[in-house]
Amino acid sequence: MREGSIIIVTIALWVYFAVSLPATANFLTYSNFENLLPYFAPYAILAAGLVFLLINGEIDLSIGGVYLFAPLMYYEIVGGGVPLVPAVALSLLVCAAIGLINGILTAILKVNSFVATLGVLFTLQGLTLIISQGQELEMPGSVVTGVIHVSAFAQVFGAGTYSELIWALAVVVILAVALARTRWGLHTIAVGSNRNAAAEAGVNVRLNLIRNFVVCSTCAGLVGILESVRTSSISPDPSSANSVLLLAIASAVIGGTLLAGGTGTVIGALIGALFLGILQDGLAIKGVNADYLNFYLGLAILFAMLVNVYLGRVRRMSGHG
Amino acid sequence: MAEAHDGEVIVAPVTDTEDVLRVEHIAKSFGPVTALRDVSLHLKKGEVLGLLGDNGAGKSTLIKTICGFQQQDSGSMWLKGEPYEPKSVDHARALGVDVVYQDLALIDELSVYQNMFLCREERLSPFPFLNSRKMKRETRKSLNDIGINLPRLDVPVARLSGGQRQSIAVARGVYSQADILLLDEPLAAMGAKEGAMILELIARLKAEGNLSMIMILHNYVHVLESCDRVNMIVDGVITLDKPTSETSVEELTEIVVEEYRRARIEAKKDEAAFAASEAAEGVED
Repeated sequence: MREGSIIIVTIALWVYFAVSLPATANFLTYSNFENLLPYFAPYAILAAGLVFLLINGEIDLSIGGVYLFAPLMYYEIVGGGVPLVPAVALSLLVCAAIGLINGILTAILKVNSFVATLGVLFTLQGLTLIISQGQELEMPGSVVTGVIHVSAFAQVFGAGTYSELIWALAVVVILAVALARTRWGLHTIAVGSNRNAAAEAGVNVRLNLIRNFVVCSTCAGLVGILESVRTSSISPDPSSANSVLLLAIASAVIGGTLLAGGTGTVIGALIGALFLGILQDGLAIKGVNADYLNFYLGLAILFAMLVNVYLGRVRRMSGHG
Repeated sequence: MAEAHDGEVIVAPVTDTEDVLRVEHIAKSFGPVTALRDVSLHLKKGEVLGLLGDNGAGKSTLIKTICGFQQQDSGSMWLKGEPYEPKSVDHARALGVDVVYQDLALIDELSVYQNMFLCREERLSPFPFLNSRKMKRETRKSLNDIGINLPRLDVPVARLSGGQRQSIAVARGVYSQADILLLDEPLAAMGAKEGAMILELIARLKAEGNLSMIMILHNYVHVLESCDRVNMIVDGVITLDKPTSETSVEELTEIVVEEYRRARIEAKKDEAAFAASEAAEGVED
């Protein structure tokens, strides 16, 4: 099992915190589990969508922009008089269109995906700042006013305790099945493993790339909306969006997806996100000085990657897939 | 439909009714490099046509044009009397033309059976899910039929030997239910035993008479053994078209050596002309 090594590393990390933190720190409590969720569920969704592109041998940096832009789109669409749920659908459609643009730039106009999506990242973050005038906005539909359907909306789209977890599990299951059990997944691996051979065998390489950009971008839009509903605000803050982007990439990579393409796992991305969530949560409880947080995070990512690579090598040498 | 790229109307060639494929005056360039100047060939039903030619003569370009991987700049193709204009490899495959590439076009990360069925995957309709069990079963059957014994079909093809990989690529083409199969050096990476296995398979398919093949080979003995007819391609033009029964290894070798001599004389002439022009420029300076 490809995810084996990251599962071991994640369990080891959890055991470490469980043992090293005093019982009074409440690491092993239900309420801490609830605290953990927002540290991990959004990244699981972002990373799951990203895995398809990483397997393609491409990358989408614009998810940091889409994440920021989607709730603002939603705000404007609701402001235009559209009901909440259709507004979510329309905003996700806008995100899909952004993915389509990324796909066309990369697959048809042959711009390197790192560069193309970097451009789109800044463009979207800039647009978000311009439209919102840099002001924090209240997320429509997120405030529980006592009107039942409004609060139900918020419960479903991010504000409910398990809302993001359920979305994350649903997205991960769907994409994991798509990757392992459908033509789309097979062709994604083929395109990433050997693009020329895939084209020779008849794989529609452009269509596959464009589709994966669309899926990735839509996932990012979903996370943007869920997070804004959860926090009931739209904060146009590019620097926090950029760290979300980087943590999403880290989740996928820690989970065992190679940036070189050809191989990757959606379940791994979920567990990679869980690893980062436990790490951040554990360090916070440990009372690590905020200045040290990124430092430890960086070391932990390197360590997890090294273990991952080492265990992967052992597995290959023992001859098991 | 039957209009050439320059607007000139092409009439269906007067064909031998036995021809399953006709290629008429195909030309193809990549930027300044002309790969095919003017290639015409035909293939009868059940026939095995050997395609010979030096490296860079245009053999692979011709194969990749017929199989739909790339489109010709000019000229036309006819499949069973109908205009044949494949838009993609998938399209050509749907029309009954499949190919085994020189580079095999295998995906290292995918398993044996996934490679066998790449782009013609079996699904559990009406669901979009892959029917892996059926694909494995069919793959096992095909490989047994050729005589290739692989203990496991779910290992990535990266783990297999060169000969095994090539066998899988050939099996993929042969068992794709094509009427016309194009094989670009199907024996290149094979040991003697595997090579013999593939030649035997080709002989058997020829005896069955349903599959028509165009095969690029370098070994003249194999050509004479497996093919009904041989075409030689030199600098993007077919220069020889003979039944194998009317030629011999000696003749084919002689033609190639002659070709080589001619090319060397040409090159010397070019060299002399170049030196002359250099000298002339030197005077001008």
